[in-house]
Amino acid sequence: MSVQPRPEERSGGGSVGFLGQVVSGAALLVLLTLHMIAQHFVVPEGLRDYADVIDWLRSPVVVVLELAFLAFVTWHALLGLRAIIFDYGFSASTERWITRVLVVIGLATVVYGTVLLYAVVAAA
Amino acid sequence: MSEQRAQTSIPATRPVERRRGWWGWFDPRGRRLGGWAFALNRLTGLGLVAYLYLHLGILSLLARGPDAWDTFVDIALNPLVLALDVVLIFGMLFHGLNGLRVGLVGYGLVASRQAALFVGLMVIGAIVLVVATLRVFA
Repeated sequence: MSVQPRPEERSGGGSVGFLGQVVSGAALLVLLTLHMIAQHFVVPEGLRDYADVIDWLRSPVVVVLELAFLAFVTWHALLGLRAIIFDYGFSASTERWITRVLVVIGLATVVYGTVLLYAVVAAA
Repeated sequence: MSEQRAQTSIPATRPVERRRGWWGWFDPRGRRLGGWAFALNRLTGLGLVAYLYLHLGILSLLARGPDAWDTFVDIALNPLVLALDVVLIFGMLFHGLNGLRVGLVGYGLVASRQAALFVGLMVIGAIVLVVATLRVFA
């Protein structure tokens, strides 16, 4: 039976899951900071109106950054959720099913976000 | 499996958490600063996961055109919604800065000074939160 200790408890940082959380977390520190500044704090009312959003998304760099943000935040969120769920002690086969379900949810999230972004960019 | 997990677990708070479910995260018995940070990290993490999907739902309004989005923007500028934005920013700051500490300590960096690191990061977070709150309500 495989044992998956909580990533936070791995003092050596050897867990692949923990490494994934650290890498995605570090990326999010940068991407979320950029997102909050660009989308909210430098915008006069804190939120862009529709015309402003469309104009903002005309930049390919912005689109790439937003897609990277979506991918990293989805990965980080669902891996973290998995760690919390696993703490409640399931069998190895149940844990594998939970992982599969979360992978499907993650892929669906990224695909949905990408399609949505494409639809908005196409309107630009 | 529980015994095997226990052998690889470190914090003394862990058995209480396992017995009491997620309420155990907030059981004060034998809990130190790191235990509270762990509990709040998970609570903010769950909140941020929920917000991720709420945010994606809200962004879908963009695909419905300018009327739908600009109506939402008007609602989002309501002071009550702005107050929730401050709660969201708190969650992001705490989770991000505490996560930075967990990552550094997890790889053996500043492990001996992690309490000081935590306090320092929380002071930075508090300053950023105050500035962000002033900006949100400006």
